[in-house]
Amino acid sequence: MNRMTQKISELDRVIHEPGRLMLVALLSAVEQADFLYLQHETEMNKGTLSSHLSKLEEAGYVEVTKTYRGKIPQTLLCLTAEGRQAFQQYRRRLKEAL
Amino acid sequence: MQEDDEVTKMDQIEKLVQRPKLYNNIDGVGELGLGIMFLGSALLQWLPIQAFWWHRYGSSVGFLLLIAVIHYGMKAIKEYITYPRTGFVEYPKRDAVWRPMILGAGVSVLVGIVLVLAARTQSVFGGSHWGLTTPVALAGLVIANGYAYGIASSVLWKWGVPVAMAICSIAIVMLPESAIRAMSGNTSAAVMAHEWIFGALQLTFALYGAILLISGGISFVHYLRHTQPAAETAE
Repeated sequence: MNRMTQKISELDRVIHEPGRLMLVALLSAVEQADFLYLQHETEMNKGTLSSHLSKLEEAGYVEVTKTYRGKIPQTLLCLTAEGRQAFQQYRRRLKEAL
Repeated sequence: MQEDDEVTKMDQIEKLVQRPKLYNNIDGVGELGLGIMFLGSALLQWLPIQAFWWHRYGSSVGFLLLIAVIHYGMKAIKEYITYPRTGFVEYPKRDAVWRPMILGAGVSVLVGIVLVLAARTQSVFGGSHWGLTTPVALAGLVIANGYAYGIASSVLWKWGVPVAMAICSIAIVMLPESAIRAMSGNTSAAVMAHEWIFGALQLTFALYGAILLISGGISFVHYLRHTQPAAETAE
């Protein structure tokens, strides 16, 4: 196994999946965003998006808050401190691998 | 092959991290606000000179009203139009408040220093307005450059905006003295240095404001046509 392959194998598998990587990258640039924004930006359907967000929540990378904007239910999402750290580490390792 | 995939992935990550910043002007509201600010400023500075009926405190009150209208107007559009259609985003305070404020203050101070220096060295240019309108045009080019970096880099047709701004700035420098004099409110032969600057700034504000309003308006209409409130698209 060469050095690059070894480095890539060390990458965080939760973040490495393309869909989840997209979500973490978007959330890393904001304080918080709602479900609709992530759906609009990623063009995922509701089911796929929910599934990815659940995995990120299980890993402790994303915090989900259910609230209301007026009378409309709203799901707010933000990266936890652990999630931000994991994403920074992921970017660093990916750069090192290249 | 795997290396190519990872390089592509790295590029995609960098682009994705930038996307929320660009989302702020997806509806063109940022440009509309800036355009109204420029045009309103030009109008409120022009009225005390040209309109005899304008009260001397009118401009101060007008500026406060202008800021309030822009702030609450933009907030209302985001709340009732943008968030229900394409989602809500809250930016970190450092990106949304502190960085633009520090940058704006820094550019204003720099432009102020350049204009004061230009006014003091006016005699070097033999009293011609060129020596004073050129620094104003350069300040305009700084704004156009900032726009190009912030907004035009994401949407191809928006490159027309900084180009139009640059053309306007060059045109102002090329204008005959009588036109600048008319804008400054002093039509007599003896025009003070600050009046040349004032006249050129008025023209810059008016033209930039109009360009930004048109660009923001096109973006806003385009946004409304291509998006729908989430409740209407569901099921």
